[in-house]
Amino acid sequence: MIFGLEFPPIENLVEWPNLFGPKDSWYGFNKIALINVIALVATTVIFLLARRSKGLVPHGVRNLVESSVAFIRDGIINETIGPDGLRYLPFLVSLFFFILITNLFEVIPFFHMPGNARMAGPAVLALITWLFFICAGLKAQGPKYFWSAVAPPGVPWPLLFVVVPIEFLSTFIVRPFSLAVRLFANMLAGHILLVTFTVLCITLFSATLLIIVLPFSFAMLVALTGFEIMVAFLQAYIFTILAAVYIGSSIHAEH
Amino acid sequence: MLALITVLAETASTDVANATKEVKNPILPTLNEMFWALVVFVLLWALMKYVLLPPIMKTFQERADKVRDDLEAAEAAETARVTKLEQYEAELAGARAEAVALIEQARSEGDAERRTQITAAEAEVAAAKAEAAAEIAQAKAAARAELSGSIADIAVGAAEAVVQKPLDRAAQGQLVEDYVNRAGSQN
Repeated sequence: MIFGLEFPPIENLVEWPNLFGPKDSWYGFNKIALINVIALVATTVIFLLARRSKGLVPHGVRNLVESSVAFIRDGIINETIGPDGLRYLPFLVSLFFFILITNLFEVIPFFHMPGNARMAGPAVLALITWLFFICAGLKAQGPKYFWSAVAPPGVPWPLLFVVVPIEFLSTFIVRPFSLAVRLFANMLAGHILLVTFTVLCITLFSATLLIIVLPFSFAMLVALTGFEIMVAFLQAYIFTILAAVYIGSSIHAEH
Repeated sequence: MLALITVLAETASTDVANATKEVKNPILPTLNEMFWALVVFVLLWALMKYVLLPPIMKTFQERADKVRDDLEAAEAAETARVTKLEQYEAELAGARAEAVALIEQARSEGDAERRTQITAAEAEVAAAKAEAAAEIAQAKAAARAELSGSIADIAVGAAEAVVQKPLDRAAQGQLVEDYVNRAGSQN
């Protein structure tokens, strides 16, 4: 209880009981898992609907899908990896749509919980991306990838004693960690903000003199909802473009 | 005021302490959520790679092919248009040259015809003039002959009246005629 307002404890905001499966089991299916599955189904349905639409000029869902894919191909892959990065398009499109849709559950009624406001989703995606760019580097450069990843070209050899550990930490430790934490922290912060203003609105509605603050609180809630939609897109874009940058730097030794 | 702040701080610290006891760390990932995230994402990735994305890429390729074909067709049409235009302009220039030649030919033919007709007219006028001159000369000779005969008769008659005897009319007539001829040649 702070200033007469009672905020729910943090675990009430982010932890969900299992819908099926025993508590604390490795396969317990909770709300976050449900959001992930819905994201999978929604992405599949959207793409299947886009396939059904015929004709040379795209309309409706097909336009949305083609624009998104073209944006990832031209705006992300061609800009960060180059034309030879097109083979990574399925991975990056999957990343973008999965993150975007799970993020948008923040503002979907009856859910109001972004799937990535829990660390599990971002951690898995970051680990997959980490493995992906290491495998892409190994495939493109062979074992010397590990050396080219930690020793930038043109560095005088005495400096390598300093640069190599820093690059190792930066490339193989910090990258997946920062990917996961950035997405998770942004979505959790947005979720807490929305919950805070929702609680404020509900509480102020029943308070006495403080009701004069209610319109401001409600306006903030509406504005933050719009802001969170933008953040959902932005975080999906940032995660995808960073994954593309990491893949590009792995397959091109000169980077 | 200080007491209020102290109370608020104590309340807040008590809440935080209670919360710390009860709340799990919300940052740490849970195994079940990681499992489902992994399964769902790998499934989505596989679907995207083998089922969902290929038709979209095929559409992109078809559209790119169509755009390229249309561009090529447009370029071919443009080339044909330029060729046709050049051909038309060449034909137009030829027609213009032919028209100019025809006009020049017509003009020269007109000039020649005009000159021919002028020459013919001049000849005709000269002939008419000569004919008129001949007629005048003939009339003049006839008039002179008639006049000399009359003058001779009058002069011989007058002379016979003066001398009171007949004169040789032929000789006197010859004299008068010679005189008239001399006078006509002096005029």
